[in-house]
Amino acid sequence: MVEGSDTYFLRPNHQLKFKPAIVKGYIREIVRERLSGVQYDPENVPELTLSLAESVKDKVKNAGFDRYKLVVQVLIGEQRGQGVKMSSRCLWDADTDNYAEDVFMNDSLFCVVAVFGSYYY
Amino acid sequence: MHSEKKLTKEDTWRPAELRKHIRDKDNRDGHSRRRDDDERKHRGGQSVERRHRDPVESRPERDKERDRRHGDSRDRQRKDGSHDRRGDKDRGRRDDEDRRKRADDGRDRRETAPGKEDLRERERHRDRHKDKEKERAKVKEKHPEEDRDKRREDREKERRREEQEREQRRERRRRDESDEVRRDPTEKLHREPRDRKHRGEHEDKRRDRVVQEDRRRTEDREYKEEVRRHKEERERRHKERRRHDETHKHDSASRERQDSKQSADDVRSSRGDRERTERDKHKERRKKEEETDIERRHKERGHREAEDEDVERNHRARSGSKKSSSGKSPTYEKREEDSNPQTAGGKNGEEKAEKADLAEQEYEEDFEKLEYEEDFEDVEESADEGEDGPDVDDGKEGPPAQASKEIEAIRRAMAEENERAGSARSRHSAVREEQEDKPGGSEGSERNQGETSRRGKFIDFVAAKQREVSQKVATRQKKRSTELLRLIDLDVTATFSLLDLPPVSEYEMYIKSFGNANAKQAYVQCNEDDTDRDVQTEEIEMCEKWTQHPPEYSGACGDPNPSQEARDKTRGELVLDSQRLMSFLRSASQVMVVLLEEDQAERKSLRKLKTQKDSLSFSDGSLQLNAKLPFLLGRQISLVHFSPAQKHTMLSVHTPTATASAVRLDSCAVVCVWNIWEPSRPQQILVYGSEVQCCCFSPGKSSLVFAGTPVGSVVLWDLREHSSTHYRLKIGEDDWTFRHPTFSTDAVMCGSGHVSPVTSVEVVPSFAAGRLRPELPPLASEEESSGLSFQLASLDESGLLNFWVVVELPRGNEAGSPTDLGLRPGGKVKLLHSSSLLTVQRPSLREAAKTKPFQTLLLKYHPTDSNQFFIGTSLGLVSHGTSHGLKAPPQFYRFQEVDERTADVSAIHFSPFRPNLFLVGCADGSIRLHAVSHDRPLAEWMNSTAGEAVVSLQWAQTRPAVFCVFDAASNLHVWDMLKDDAQPVLTEKMTADRVTAMAVFGDSRQQNTYSGIALAHESGNIELRYFTQTLTVPSPAEEGKLESLLTEAF
Repeated sequence: MVEGSDTYFLRPNHQLKFKPAIVKGYIREIVRERLSGVQYDPENVPELTLSLAESVKDKVKNAGFDRYKLVVQVLIGEQRGQGVKMSSRCLWDADTDNYAEDVFMNDSLFCVVAVFGSYYY
Repeated sequence: MHSEKKLTKEDTWRPAELRKHIRDKDNRDGHSRRRDDDERKHRGGQSVERRHRDPVESRPERDKERDRRHGDSRDRQRKDGSHDRRGDKDRGRRDDEDRRKRADDGRDRRETAPGKEDLRERERHRDRHKDKEKERAKVKEKHPEEDRDKRREDREKERRREEQEREQRRERRRRDESDEVRRDPTEKLHREPRDRKHRGEHEDKRRDRVVQEDRRRTEDREYKEEVRRHKEERERRHKERRRHDETHKHDSASRERQDSKQSADDVRSSRGDRERTERDKHKERRKKEEETDIERRHKERGHREAEDEDVERNHRARSGSKKSSSGKSPTYEKREEDSNPQTAGGKNGEEKAEKADLAEQEYEEDFEKLEYEEDFEDVEESADEGEDGPDVDDGKEGPPAQASKEIEAIRRAMAEENERAGSARSRHSAVREEQEDKPGGSEGSERNQGETSRRGKFIDFVAAKQREVSQKVATRQKKRSTELLRLIDLDVTATFSLLDLPPVSEYEMYIKSFGNANAKQAYVQCNEDDTDRDVQTEEIEMCEKWTQHPPEYSGACGDPNPSQEARDKTRGELVLDSQRLMSFLRSASQVMVVLLEEDQAERKSLRKLKTQKDSLSFSDGSLQLNAKLPFLLGRQISLVHFSPAQKHTMLSVHTPTATASAVRLDSCAVVCVWNIWEPSRPQQILVYGSEVQCCCFSPGKSSLVFAGTPVGSVVLWDLREHSSTHYRLKIGEDDWTFRHPTFSTDAVMCGSGHVSPVTSVEVVPSFAAGRLRPELPPLASEEESSGLSFQLASLDESGLLNFWVVVELPRGNEAGSPTDLGLRPGGKVKLLHSSSLLTVQRPSLREAAKTKPFQTLLLKYHPTDSNQFFIGTSLGLVSHGTSHGLKAPPQFYRFQEVDERTADVSAIHFSPFRPNLFLVGCADGSIRLHAVSHDRPLAEWMNSTAGEAVVSLQWAQTRPAVFCVFDAASNLHVWDMLKDDAQPVLTEKMTADRVTAMAVFGDSRQQNTYSGIALAHESGNIELRYFTQTLTVPSPAEEGKLESLLTEAF
């Protein structure tokens, strides 16, 4: 490789591409496991959110999406009959980057987990 | 003001005290130093705050300390013994209160708490400081401008400092060192008087040295004082106090020097103190060795200072005089200059100085970070002084002047005192020092800006490398990003909706909170399948039709749509049924009508018979056919003909008329078919476009009518055709159907047809030649088997005999036949030309030459032999021919006497009883009776009609010996050969209404009474006359008479 003329991996390997369906499965699994039957408690929710994000991140990291930078966003809110709208916008390369999200709800809380995978060229 | 003054006094004093203590400790021995360390640590623990919190706790120490000082101060008091001091004390007390009021320092409040003695002691202690401060203030007062200058310079320096930051820092450090060195001795001087008093046991060596130093210093000072005095005197002429001080020249001088030095030191020491305390703190934090180094160095510097002081002071004094400014501003500069001599100037302690330098360098490194703080505090203190300077000016010259002597004495003892300075003292001073930090800190905001700017610059410098590194990284990243961005496209995604949780409706919320958890709401709709529908519009029915123009009959339209075949089928079945019904009704109605009409006609005829019995002798009754029809008006009846099979069916041919009528049939000939038992109206009305020359019925059932026309065409009407397919016309109340010919050879068969007027049309008898019973009518079954196929012969004037085969098609074509153009649309019967025969053979050339053109006028077939035909000619001869096979023997039937005569044969009639006998009537009025086998007649009657042409001649159907002859003069002659074979029995003249045509009717087989003669009158009436009984009832002798005639003739 000659200096000055860098080469880049412009596209991830197909097998190693960020696959929203798989990630969604992970999220679902983790969130089901951790949140089923949990009551909303404002004291615990911050740590819960953090640990959820961590575990989701670890899980997705281990899934082997090569050269992907991950952003995990976890939101837990109490369900009191209010309306909630949450949306996101990204400036990214739609060919490589993607996101997965899943929503969990029980009687007392709702949890939105969004994982954004951005490819590092 | 006072309090501030005091504060400044303390500020200036305390750090020096502290330093002195430190040095003392160092001087004494390592042990004491160690103890000092311990104590200092202890003191460090006993923070200002702690003192604030629990003053009692710290009191014992202080008490001890004060006790120690107590004596000292008392001694001093004794020595001073001046009233001024009292006033000072009072003032100090007041100051104390002020300070308490200010309460900016919690310590002041606490100071009131201790006992009176304590307080007094403190006050005294403070007073002493105050005195010094006052003296210094005096000096300052003398140089107010200098103060201002100093302040200005300070400011300037601050500005400059930004530029020469690092230099200054270095310089300041150096300055500090020098300050320490310079200050230490003076402080020692301060301390000495006190310490010397109650501490007898001093180390002699040390003391001696100190004293020595003191002495030397005093000398130096004297010199310097002198120099300064000039300046001072000039500036402070108005101040008596000062003069008074001058009386105590030496003391005051020394004090002045001290003051000035102190005032100069104020800045220096305060700064130096700061640094030192900082350093001390760091020292405490760090190694003791460093500490000891410093202290040692301080100590040594102290010695060195003593030596160098002279020079230094000289410099200072000189510069001060030169610049004519206060001692302070010069000291700054001087210090910078002095630093070198100081550091380098150590003669005996060179090595130590080096060590100290090393230590100093260490400090420099250590304190690099702290320099901000130092700077900060420096400025603060300088600012403090700037403020404090003028405050000190409040005239308090007295006490310092009085105490000068004492101070002078004290100063000598200072060195000793320094050595002996107890740990408690040092601790105390250290505490004060800390306190003193506070007011300084409170004013920090003044310098914030300069400081921050300096700091920013500093950060910039330090971060430069980092920045460089980060810049490198950034450029690399940028390059990478630019390269990458060329290769990829970033796009802003649409908004992903991560969560959309609609608000819970009120009802759901209600159910959630109040509803039963195990219940669910459901709904049921009953009678769900009971829906009702209604359509108001009706379905549109459609069907296809065709039509044809001209719409002469209703069959000119049809329905070709195959989807309606079912309907057609049912209709066909209906038609089938109706056909049966129709056929039944037709026959039945005919019967009924006939019965009714018979009944009516019988009654009528009975009446008529009565009425007309006179007019006609041969008839006993008559029947009037209703020929007074609108379309028959003005027409002459040219022919009346009875059907050979159905004796009651008659047709009458009406010639075209020139008179216009309502019906547009003027140019047409009309043929009416009558049933004589239904006289009220004709059964059928046949129409042809031109004249009709001759007519005949089909054999058997009279369902067809054939006609020959003058234009050479043969036409036929099929009477079975439904009347609806023909032209209907409503005239008056009655509907009349006018049938056009079903088939016509008009212009169709030009090649094979006739070119001359057709004179006769005759049906070829279908039965074989060998048929023995010609009288018997063909059976219905025979007729059926043979169908309608029979031959028709037509003869025109030129003698051409055409044979036609009548063919009935199985199915008529409603749209017309494309091949048979003569066939009417829907017609089922047509004529096929089979053969033609030229029958005219002139009897002889000779005869032919002299006679008029030969014409064939009449055609008759032998009733029992279809092979033989008889043609009447214009020469009075009857030609005999056969259709095929050998010729029959007599070729011509001639007159009796002559061969031929120019007289048309107008009538030929075979006897219904004897088929081989026939009558021939000629236009010249002669009547002949011929036998088939002989060419000569059996009998010939000339002039029986009086020369009138015979128009019609017919045998009677019921009597073999009776025949009727009608001549052109409308005379009817009835012959009865049984009665008279030479002349007619009856001759009836009907001149009133001329008769145009005549036909005999009757059934030879039944021989009923209903036989008669039909007379067509000129007026258009058709009259049926019944023969009288005599003419109708046959007698057995009649046939014998005919036999006899045959045998008689041959």
